[in-house]
Amino acid sequence: MRLKMLSAMALMAVAGVAVAGAAPIKIGYSDWPGYTVMEVAKQKGWFKEAGLDVEMVWFEYSPSIDAFSAGKVDADMIVAGDDMVTGASGAKSKIICLVDYSEGSDMIVGGPDITSIKDLKGKKVGVELTLVEHELLLQALKVNGMSQSDVTLVGTATDKTPQALASGQVAAVGAWYPISGQALKQVAGSKKLFTSADAKGLIFDVIAVNPASYAEHKEEWTKITAIFYKCVDYLKDPKTHDDAVKIMAAKVGADPAEYEKNIPGTHFLTIAEAKTALKKSDDMLSIYGSMKLSDKFYLDNAVYKESQKPEDYLVPSVINGLK
Amino acid sequence: MAHHDWLGLKRELPRRRRLLLAAMSFIIPLAAWCAISYVPWIWHPLIRVTDPGSVDYFSTGLDIPKTTFYQEEAKARAAGEALPQGYLVNPVYLPAPHRVARAFYSAFKTPPRLQDEPWLHQSLGHSIRTIFLGFLFSSLVGVPIGILCGTYRFFAKLQEPFIEFFRYLPAPAFAALCVAILGIEDAPKIAIIFIGTFFQQILIIANSVRKVDPALVEAAQTLGASKWKLVTGVVIPASITDIYTDLRILLGWAWTYLIVAEVVGTMSGITLFINQQARYRNFDNVYAAIAMIGIIGLSCDMLLAWLGTILFPWKRKNRTARRQQPLFPLFDKPRPLVLPPRFRPNPEPGGQLDAAS
Repeated sequence: MRLKMLSAMALMAVAGVAVAGAAPIKIGYSDWPGYTVMEVAKQKGWFKEAGLDVEMVWFEYSPSIDAFSAGKVDADMIVAGDDMVTGASGAKSKIICLVDYSEGSDMIVGGPDITSIKDLKGKKVGVELTLVEHELLLQALKVNGMSQSDVTLVGTATDKTPQALASGQVAAVGAWYPISGQALKQVAGSKKLFTSADAKGLIFDVIAVNPASYAEHKEEWTKITAIFYKCVDYLKDPKTHDDAVKIMAAKVGADPAEYEKNIPGTHFLTIAEAKTALKKSDDMLSIYGSMKLSDKFYLDNAVYKESQKPEDYLVPSVINGLK
Repeated sequence: MAHHDWLGLKRELPRRRRLLLAAMSFIIPLAAWCAISYVPWIWHPLIRVTDPGSVDYFSTGLDIPKTTFYQEEAKARAAGEALPQGYLVNPVYLPAPHRVARAFYSAFKTPPRLQDEPWLHQSLGHSIRTIFLGFLFSSLVGVPIGILCGTYRFFAKLQEPFIEFFRYLPAPAFAALCVAILGIEDAPKIAIIFIGTFFQQILIIANSVRKVDPALVEAAQTLGASKWKLVTGVVIPASITDIYTDLRILLGWAWTYLIVAEVVGTMSGITLFINQQARYRNFDNVYAAIAMIGIIGLSCDMLLAWLGTILFPWKRKNRTARRQQPLFPLFDKPRPLVLPPRFRPNPEPGGQLDAAS
């Protein structure tokens, strides 16, 4: 009797595994326009149309990375640099799709008395250490012939930067949209000192795929990449632009008119632009150059110890195979 | 004149006064909130610009600190240029009560903007389920262990030092581990609530159990109760009402973990709503959602309190008995522990404790 029950349970377990094998492809995404645009595909039913069983899973950004590195989602929409940090301590994922680069949404915002990056010499700057805004600040300093030692960094959670700037305890902060917008709005006389539009390509967003899932479902992943660019086209087409913004704004709970304002800060890549970005170069507008720069940044800041090579991550054939 | 004494020690207040005080406990903070929101000279540290005048960095709708605004105004006046205009406001982080009330109402009426997204009441339902399951699992394991620890030193010494250590560990720090083991859906959220409740639960329940009148335990032992019978026949019945009260308090505790638990894995429930609205500075919606959690928590507690009077009628009888003799309340004798008849030790010779008799 007991044996029967045991074997029945074992059977159920096996069946469970079998069902799990037929589970949908799960993609993690979060509140960044480049990622949120995938909601269009979900709402329009484009995955089903292509015969795919895809589940888009909505996260906060960092839990999405946790879930991805724990293997609980098959892919994540992520900053290329963050993907290297994840890869340095575990399996190196496959970057199959270049999503966008930040073009203005990330910014260094100066307080009322600061008019340029050079004014920051000897002052305190609030940024979330080792994250993208830290990297942006270093780039800003470099362009102005300065270095990290010229300022005092104050570790500040990005969502607290508007308050930090308002308190007057720091001369400038680094934040991304919509938080950067809050800082500008909240602190009278504050202004953009340096934005990702001044460092195009520094911050690339990508779709990173679990290598096992990529190996198993190459064809599906190619279709998913194509669908991503279909979403970008839908957003860029003046005829459908408003509908795309409406869907994206609804997903993040924002007012469409307000959301519209932040769209230009993200440079969505079309297939042609993605192909250009996949050409090897040390320029930041090449994903290779951008990732190399991030790699140096992470090594310098001891985020990880072993240099990560873009070649280990990038799978250019997926995008290059698209028409 | 005792009736006019509001501050009588250990004196039960008349029902009407108790209700009045209960109402006041809500009215006072609400009144303070209203005062801060509606009386312009209380706080209001910012000025919202309606006309920037000649000040180049002012713009309509911008909130400026009062001092900066007055400085710029003085400068403009001295230079004989157009004066900026504006009115006093509080920071966006503190919306006025009527805006929160309106948000409260409209949040339930607003349909989800995308298909397959939940209504607010569905999100709340999801949150309640998460809390309930986390608390249920925690109690299923925690209550028996707590009772054992409270009854027998052996279990207390074996477990409590580790539990004392573990209860200081912040539950959210286990988020990534929970996701790695339990996936991204509800299981890791329930696990966070479990971790947040479980360890406190054991200690608190063990402590309540320890307070059982030792005379009662000794009497049962003298009457020859077995170890098992001692727990089921004496310790549990003697402490069950305290355990029930503990559980009510712990359930409130579990609620405080909700916001951190719901961002583990996929974002869900009421936290999804709160975080998104906070990001886009709709703080009226945020406070409405926070108020909803408070209302659900309080109603749940009141329901459990009422259920307690049904489950443990001897407790209620005791209370009404006290209420009916208001003449000597100050010198009330220590309350004897009243067991329901079926739990009383059997006084028959042979002394078996029989729960059925």
